[in-house]
Amino acid sequence: MLQHYFKIMFRNLAKTKLYSTINIAGLALGLTCCMLIVLYNKDEVSFDQFHANKNQLHRLVTTMSNEKETRKMGISNAPSGPAFKEGLAEVEAFVRVQNDYSNVKKGTEVIGQEVINADSNFFAVFTFPLLAGNPASVLKEPNSVVLTEETAIKYFGTTDAIGKLLEFKLQDSFITKTVTGIARNVPQNSSIKFNMVLPFNDNSNEWINFYLSTYILLNKNANYQAVAAKLDNIYLAKAKDEIKMAREKYNFTDNVHYSLQPFMQVHLDTAFSSEAVQSKSKPIYSYILSAIALFILLIACINFINLKLAHSLQRAKEIGVRKVIGGQRRQLIWQFLGESFLLSSLAFILAIILTLLVLPVFNTLANKQLSFIALLDSKLILAYILLFFTTSMVAGFYPAFVVSGFNPLQSIYNRHRFTGKNYLTKGLVIFQFSLATFLIITTVLVYAQFDFLTHKSLGYNDSNVVLVDVGRGTAAEKINRFKSELAQQPAIKLVAGSNSGFNVTIAKAEGKEIEFAYKRMDEKYLKTLEIPLVKGRNLLEGFPGDSTQSAIINETFAKQVGWNDPIGKQVDFFWDNRKVTIVGVVKDYHFEALQTKITPMLLVAHPKYGIGQMLIKVDSNNTATAVKFIESSFKKSFPLQPYSYAFMDVENKNNYKEEAKWKEIISFAAFLSIFISCIGLFGLSILSTEKRTKEIGIRKVLGASVQSVVSLLSSNFLQLVMVAFVIAIPFAWYANDLWLKNFPYRIGISWQVFVTAGLCMMLLAFVTISFQSIRAALMNPVKSLKAE
Amino acid sequence: MIQLKKSYKYYNTGSRKAYVLSDISLDIAAGEFVSIMGPSGSGKSTLLHILGLLEEPNDGEYLFLGENVSHLTEKKRTELRRNQIGFVFQAYHLIDELTVYENIETPLLYKGLNSSERKSRVAELLDKFNIVGRKDLFPSQLSGGQQQLVGIARAIAGNPKVIFADEPTGNLHSEQATEIMELFKKLNEQEKVTIVQVTHSEHNATYGNRIIRLKDGLVVQ
Repeated sequence: MLQHYFKIMFRNLAKTKLYSTINIAGLALGLTCCMLIVLYNKDEVSFDQFHANKNQLHRLVTTMSNEKETRKMGISNAPSGPAFKEGLAEVEAFVRVQNDYSNVKKGTEVIGQEVINADSNFFAVFTFPLLAGNPASVLKEPNSVVLTEETAIKYFGTTDAIGKLLEFKLQDSFITKTVTGIARNVPQNSSIKFNMVLPFNDNSNEWINFYLSTYILLNKNANYQAVAAKLDNIYLAKAKDEIKMAREKYNFTDNVHYSLQPFMQVHLDTAFSSEAVQSKSKPIYSYILSAIALFILLIACINFINLKLAHSLQRAKEIGVRKVIGGQRRQLIWQFLGESFLLSSLAFILAIILTLLVLPVFNTLANKQLSFIALLDSKLILAYILLFFTTSMVAGFYPAFVVSGFNPLQSIYNRHRFTGKNYLTKGLVIFQFSLATFLIITTVLVYAQFDFLTHKSLGYNDSNVVLVDVGRGTAAEKINRFKSELAQQPAIKLVAGSNSGFNVTIAKAEGKEIEFAYKRMDEKYLKTLEIPLVKGRNLLEGFPGDSTQSAIINETFAKQVGWNDPIGKQVDFFWDNRKVTIVGVVKDYHFEALQTKITPMLLVAHPKYGIGQMLIKVDSNNTATAVKFIESSFKKSFPLQPYSYAFMDVENKNNYKEEAKWKEIISFAAFLSIFISCIGLFGLSILSTEKRTKEIGIRKVLGASVQSVVSLLSSNFLQLVMVAFVIAIPFAWYANDLWLKNFPYRIGISWQVFVTAGLCMMLLAFVTISFQSIRAALMNPVKSLKAE
Repeated sequence: MIQLKKSYKYYNTGSRKAYVLSDISLDIAAGEFVSIMGPSGSGKSTLLHILGLLEEPNDGEYLFLGENVSHLTEKKRTELRRNQIGFVFQAYHLIDELTVYENIETPLLYKGLNSSERKSRVAELLDKFNIVGRKDLFPSQLSGGQQQLVGIARAIAGNPKVIFADEPTGNLHSEQATEIMELFKKLNEQEKVTIVQVTHSEHNATYGNRIIRLKDGLVVQ
């Protein structure tokens, strides 16, 4: 019997190549999406699972709160780890990890190197295997350094580097460190990432300062919540004097609360800010990607159901005959279900091949380094088998059920009425196209918002500005030498300095505290970036006293304080016993990326901290010369410093990397869903035209024109697409509005977007159907009638 | 063997009932070769379908092999069709995707015969109908007469007690038709298979030993 079923299955497949191809291709695409997302999700939940102590590992987290706000942070400070270990028996060990940056000599060149500073038990507590070196002692010596294989090869060309020396820049000289261990490259599913580990050397005892990660290893039997509850008392006792001073001197009103978070929750955590963790993610990504993949698979399943149902009319005779000669309904269900399983297993095999092929592309898209082999285990196989069975059942059961229920007499004598209502097929087509339209609208809006983000005027001119890092704390004379060096080159128009980024600090204005962005700059800064002053004057030009006494604010600052004319007003840095006078107001500009609203800002020329970044405006016609000249001048002026440069506008675009990724993902999803929906529609149009061959013949004999036949065959489907469009609008509007609300600066959702998407959809559907309907309309009516 | 008592078949068209068969009573004994005749629309086919358990009468009683089958479940009726009844159609109704051999084998599969039993039975039929050489051809590669031969082979494959044939020669030219009718006659006489055929042709009806004439849903003779 099985053999018999297989025979008829394959012969039917061969006979209906087009329709089988549509089904298999659609299902394979849908399954591929789901397989990729299964890999993605599996990787997400596999994060940090490789640590042998995983259930005992916790991260120290802190919460600062006052009446106005609560700030939850994944970071802590130097004294808390040792104090908690000393005070609590449940704490077995603590490891502090701090991200840092060093300049390391490689041959004659000095290169910037990201490092982490970690307590000496780092390799004993975490499971980062060492190829060479003793985990317990590699970081014991202050001048030791542990490299990963990759880093060892980078510096020495070999992983056999134990005992070799590396020179680290310290101010104007170098100190030598000895390689004591070689670690395996960090797995991609690790929250903690490193290339080079140096011993922890921070002896600060400040409690109210948060900048590093502390990981706590608890006893096997300890309850982390119980331990967490005891932390605050230790903090309050140990930091008593510091808190008292902060309250009196700095008007510090916040309450600090210490707690623990299981390390396994860190990767997908959203509650605590986690700048220190280098590989964090949000569960929402998994949800969105899973939903997209399921949508696409669902669209493919709908094709399957619709085509199978429409096609079953052609097999009505076979079904009728089988019933007449003694086939039970159950047997027919099995036969048709079996056919669906066969089709979906072909799709499944194709999908596995596709998954392997597109995985590299997907990895770039999703910012992952997934490997099929690495993630392959019994759970994955089980997940895939489950995916296969569910898909086959969803796609195959309903058609099998309907088809097996055909009345044998009706099917044998061609009396089948399937043309009439057919609500299910119509409903499914509407559903499919609603999803596709939803994704098209979303794509259009994501593109528009992305375009807006990357092209909106920032309030300053970032083009042809080269950014060069000169390093914090570089002496002013050296910088001046560099500046005068640069001035010789005519392709360089202006040179300004500032600290890179800004600090957030507080001061008092009109007796009230105000929080603002605090930036240091020189007199050329505003000119170089073409930031207009709306009131007052620039700093320093003719006023040397400005460097310590004056400041410029932005409009938001003035507005927030309530100043109409801020010139001459004072800002009181009470925590530093320093007052500055406002001498100018700049027009608001986007000193941060557009995901953030413009906040109050204060610009000073205070010499104390120096400047870390040069902004060099170059001639747009002579960029290459200028860039080359900058490099040679830099090397002359700062021989011991690593050189790197970036164009400011390129750097600014990088702020929208995540949006760019999602733009790609959404367009890809939209393309796939439209493609699968359309091939389904194509198949349906073929089958429905075949069904109506006789009708078309009669109409043509009676004098119907080609257009009228085409519109007859198209209008039904186009009506469905239209309904789908109307259904999709509110969902698309709601979802995109929700998404856009994340951006303080965003596009409005205009009706044109919907009209464009709707027209696109109708056009696509029409073209899809017209392949078939035009052919049918041009058919010789004699032929189609003779067949009856 | 077949007893139909006071049976009616009607369809609801709007508010009125359109009667296809009215007050039909008939008896067919085992071994008979009966021809049902009548003009188009007289209810011949419907009667055949009722007898063949493909349709149910709205009213009346039907005893098949002494068993009341008026209100059987679909499953039971399928079982009876599978084991006791063979069908032959005007348009042959072979399964297009199956070869001659496989078409004949299909009812045996549903009957649950094992592979060697099926093989010998199909071989026997192919031999008997002289179509061994065509066993691997598909229906589309056969002439109408050849297709109908396969249809009959399929109908008798499961050793049914009765064959219902709905205008079995309606699509054939006279030479082929004669061949088919001779075959029916042989089956009836030599293998004692009961045959009930619907036909338009007085000539074909003469192959049988009784004619039931219908007009407007009534037995007239």
